[in-house]
Amino acid sequence: MNLIAISINHRTAPVELREAVYLKEDEILPFINLAKENQIKEGLILSTCNRTEIFGIPNSNDDSHDKFQNLLLNFKSSQNINEEHFQKFVSRDAIKHLFSVATGIDSLLIGDNQVFKQVKDSFLVSEESNFSGYIMRRVFDAAIRTGKRAISETAISEGAVTVSYAAVQLTEKIFSNLSKKSALVIGAGESGEIAAKHLSEKGIGSLAVTNRTLEKAEALSRKLDAKVIPFNEFRDSIYKFDIIISATSSPEILLRKDDVKNALKKRSNNSMILMDIAVPRDIDPATKDIDYVFYHDLDSLNIIVDQNLSKRKSEIPKVEKIIEEELDNFWEWYNSLQAAPAIKDLRDFFEEIRNDEVEKNKNKFSVDDQEKLDIVTKRIINKILHHPTIELRKTDDSSTSVEASTKIGIIRDLFGIHPGKKPEKE
Amino acid sequence: MISAIHTINILLPVFYFITLVVYFYDFLKGEQKLVNVKRVFLFITLFLHLIYIILRTIAFDHPPITNVFEIFTILAITISFSYFLVELVSDIRGTGPFIIILSFIFQLISSLYIQDLTEVKEVLRSNLLGIHVISALLGYSGFTISAVYGFLYLVLYKDIKLNKFGLIFNRLPNLEVLERLSLYSAIIGFIALTIAIIIGIIWLPVAFPRFSYLDPKLIGSTLVWLLYAIGITSKVVGNWRGKRLVILSITGFVVAIISTILSNFIAQSFHSFY
Repeated sequence: MNLIAISINHRTAPVELREAVYLKEDEILPFINLAKENQIKEGLILSTCNRTEIFGIPNSNDDSHDKFQNLLLNFKSSQNINEEHFQKFVSRDAIKHLFSVATGIDSLLIGDNQVFKQVKDSFLVSEESNFSGYIMRRVFDAAIRTGKRAISETAISEGAVTVSYAAVQLTEKIFSNLSKKSALVIGAGESGEIAAKHLSEKGIGSLAVTNRTLEKAEALSRKLDAKVIPFNEFRDSIYKFDIIISATSSPEILLRKDDVKNALKKRSNNSMILMDIAVPRDIDPATKDIDYVFYHDLDSLNIIVDQNLSKRKSEIPKVEKIIEEELDNFWEWYNSLQAAPAIKDLRDFFEEIRNDEVEKNKNKFSVDDQEKLDIVTKRIINKILHHPTIELRKTDDSSTSVEASTKIGIIRDLFGIHPGKKPEKE
Repeated sequence: MISAIHTINILLPVFYFITLVVYFYDFLKGEQKLVNVKRVFLFITLFLHLIYIILRTIAFDHPPITNVFEIFTILAITISFSYFLVELVSDIRGTGPFIIILSFIFQLISSLYIQDLTEVKEVLRSNLLGIHVISALLGYSGFTISAVYGFLYLVLYKDIKLNKFGLIFNRLPNLEVLERLSLYSAIIGFIALTIAIIIGIIWLPVAFPRFSYLDPKLIGSTLVWLLYAIGITSKVVGNWRGKRLVILSITGFVVAIISTILSNFIAQSFHSFY
């Protein structure tokens, strides 16, 4: 199979080089057109902040990875990238790599669900831009099936592997229904925003944001439909919130033990969760000694993250097994494309010889025997071809790609039955 | 029929043990495919147990509620059956082994000491006794389950506070659910025990003309009833919640167990039937 793939990813290149070849959304289509102009008939382009991958089937068997590499480097005119920054795959390995990417086991964050979505989006782009033929379409289907199986049959995507998500998952171990709870996010920076988004996605009942710079808080509140609390007033209103996530860059403690104690009193000892994901910390760690207060900082959240990451790592062999199964399924289909025509060509070739010889010689037989001649010669041909036919069919079921194409190649060479060529007969 | 009863009597602790092992294995591994398997095991065990109780009732001409070892087998089935219902309606996973182990212990003790009793004291042949015992059993099953969920609440509470994110953290439902399960079981138990006590008080002067109001059984039951009454009232009208409430539930359960042991085995009580 002439599927070629190149990949530049977190393992092969530092972030600045990955950024240099990153294909933005509006660059993908022009790049696909360029690939088509360069005789790549079908393929797939996947480009994210962590990886850029090009899969393609060139028209000519002589084309190699260099062509793909040069296409990308010319398109993005990157100076510092060389051969070493690319991983190269061909045929079965290329498909296997795509499956690994789709299942998230090749990701920086193992089991990352995001990449599966990105792979699916890339398939859509290929479809819409007529860059996918019947082989690539089959590859897409198999990759999506593999990705789905990995998610449903293994724990590769289970558990939080980022601090802000771990914070949200921890709240779910304390409260049963987030839609009845309220949350305050202190700090509208990147970490605060991610945490607020996670809470919003989990259906938090009400969300409020506070930030030293009011404008930033207002901007985030508009994005997430949250309330804004002025920074100098938030201490007085913490009793209204079940969950408080703090992620500011403040050098001093923002919430002291007494603030929390008073808030708890005001809320009749209803549990409070305090997540401090700031460095240095925003909330006095001594608050963890108060009953019904669940205080967690980066260190404790990282324990969850590390545990989940190692759990996901331990799932990799299961995912690899699924990948192998799906690869075998795909290959079975692909080989059948080759084996069936070969069987037909072989049988046609023998039938033609038989027919010619019978036609030439049938007058030497009596009219009664002519029919018998036909039957007997057919039987001989069937007996001769019985074993080769079975062997060729077996390549549909169990052989590796090399074994299958070797067998088919030998038969075609021996009898001169190459597709499109008329076999030579004596 | 007697030999069938004896065989099932031996089989029941074995079945509870196997079910317990399956639940415990699922707790450790957390594999989705075991969810239905373990329920099937529990269902088969409960079904066998039900047949056992029906056979005993027919063979010995009374339901097995006339002494403590007969009651233990009923307690075993009611605890597991209540859990079976909770699991079916709430889809709460991970708490099964902690409940089923109690059924196993109760059934094991019952199987070891239960006797083929055909002669029952005349006083225990009252119709009121049936209602009294059944409601008391429901009450104690409720308290047992409440205490187990309360205990699990405390363990998970401590684990979360101390950043221990192990099996307990990963498998148990969240704190609010555990608290709610503990509270609801306690309320059901409390209502049932109230009925048992009322019937007991009506029936007592008729059955035992020479009883004393200072009998350990009466004092013990009143104490248990008071503890749960205080806990439930505090929850409903006051601001008691979480840790404080489950500690009260566990205390109530411990007092109930001590009261039962004292009145049935150690102290001289009218309520000693064994």
